[in-house]
Amino acid sequence: MVKHTITQGQIVEEVYLNQSNLDITFTQQEGSTLRLFVVDIQGGQYANHIVVEQAATDCTTEIYHLAYLTDNDKATTHTNVRHLVGGGTSNQLIKFILGGKAKGEFLGELYIAPDAQKTEAHQTNRNLLLSSTAEVRTRPQLEIYADDVKATHGASTGQMDESALFYMQQRCLDENTARRLLLGAFMKDVIEPISDQNKREELLETIDRIIQ
Amino acid sequence: MNLLEIKDLHASIAGKEILRGVNLSVEAGTVHAIMGPNGAGKSTLSAVLTGNPLYEVTAGEIYLRGKNLLTMPPEQRAREGVFLSFQYPVEIPGVSMVNFMRTALNEKRQYQGLQPLSSTEFLRLMRDKRKLVGLADKLQNRSVNEGFSGGEKKKNEIFQMAMLEPCLSILDETDSGLDIDALRIVAEGVNQLRTADNASIVITHYQRLLDYIVPDYVHVLADGQIVKTGGKELALELEDKGYEWLSTQ
Repeated sequence: MVKHTITQGQIVEEVYLNQSNLDITFTQQEGSTLRLFVVDIQGGQYANHIVVEQAATDCTTEIYHLAYLTDNDKATTHTNVRHLVGGGTSNQLIKFILGGKAKGEFLGELYIAPDAQKTEAHQTNRNLLLSSTAEVRTRPQLEIYADDVKATHGASTGQMDESALFYMQQRCLDENTARRLLLGAFMKDVIEPISDQNKREELLETIDRIIQ
Repeated sequence: MNLLEIKDLHASIAGKEILRGVNLSVEAGTVHAIMGPNGAGKSTLSAVLTGNPLYEVTAGEIYLRGKNLLTMPPEQRAREGVFLSFQYPVEIPGVSMVNFMRTALNEKRQYQGLQPLSSTEFLRLMRDKRKLVGLADKLQNRSVNEGFSGGEKKKNEIFQMAMLEPCLSILDETDSGLDIDALRIVAEGVNQLRTADNASIVITHYQRLLDYIVPDYVHVLADGQIVKTGGKELALELEDKGYEWLSTQ
C-alpha cells in the first residue's frame, strides 16, 4: 500500500491511468484539496483500493473513477472516504461500462466521525451495460455519526438510451457511430474535470481510440 | 414520379394496430398538413416513415423518389432526405451540437459522394443557418438539446433541418409548447426552406400553425386512415366543427 500526505493548503491532482490493483491511502491536512482520477480503460482483472482520510478541517476531496470492462474482465473498485474532522467536502463520481460477460463491483464506503459536523459528502455511481450478460454490483456503505451533515448517494445502472440512438440515426448517423458518440459522452464526464489540459486531452484522445 | 408515395400502409406497436391502410401521395413543392384527434395515428405515421424500430409495418409500401424506404435503416432514410422534426427532441448529454451536426452533415455528404466540409466552411454554414431561426450562438457548444427551453428545442430542430436540406421534412407537432413569437420564427424558417424540389408534411392538432405554414392540402387522419382530404380551408372547418362529424360519417 502507498501512503501520501497532503499538507496544509496544498492542492493535489493525481491521474492514474490503467494502474490495475491501485492500493493507495491519502491523508489530508487542513484546507487541502485532493483531486483524484482513476481511469481504467484497458480491462483485465483487478481490484482498486482507495482510502482518503480528511484528518483536519476544510478539506476538499474529489474522486473520479472510470472502469471500462469487456469480454471476461472482472474488476472491483473500493473507495473509502473518511471524514474524521468536520467542515470538509467530498464528491465521488464512479462510472462502470460493462460489455461481454464482464463483472464489475463498486464498494463505496463513506465514514463521517461523531464530531465531523458541517461535512458535505456526495457519492454518485452510474453504470452502463452494453450487453445482457454483463453484471455490475454497487454497494454504497454510509456510516454517519454526526448529525449536522449533508450526505447523498445515488446509484443507477442502465443501457444505452434507445431514443437518443434513434434521434441520432434520424440525423444520418449510422447506429455504430451513434453508439460510439454516446459511449464517449458517458466516459468523458469522468475525464473532463481534469484541470491539466495536456493530460485531459491525451486521455480524451485515448478514449476516442479505444471506442473506435 | 411523386416525391413520396404511401400505399395501403398498416403499422402496429406492441401488437396493436395503429395505421390501418394509409394512402398518401406527396408531390415536390407542396406542403401537406395532417390533422386529426389524439390517438389517430399521426405520430405513428412519422415514426414509420423514419424507421423507428418500435413500430412494425405489417403491410403496405412507402416510396421516396421511387426508392423503397421500408427496406432502409433509419440513417439511410435520413441520408436519402427524410427529416423528422421531433415532437419531443431528445437530450443527448455529453455530445456537443457542433460535433453532432458536423458528424451528421458529413455522413450525409459522404452518402451523396461529396467531400466533407472544411472546419471553416462548416462553421460558416452553422452561423448562416442559425440566423434563419434565431438560435443563440452559445447553444452550439452545449450538449444536444440539454437544458434547452421548449422553444429552443423546436428552433434547434428547424436549424438542423436547414443544415441537412432534406427533400421531405416531417414536422411532428412542431407548434406544441411554442408561444406565438417562437411559432412565427419557426414557421418563417420552414417557409424559407421551401423549394420546388422539396416537400413538407406538417402534423398538427390545431389550425394555428397553418396560419403561418400554409398547406396546399389538408388530410384528416382518424382511426388509422385518411378519412378526408381538402385544401387549406378544411383546416378552418375542422377548427370550427371539431373532428366528430368526420368519424361519424
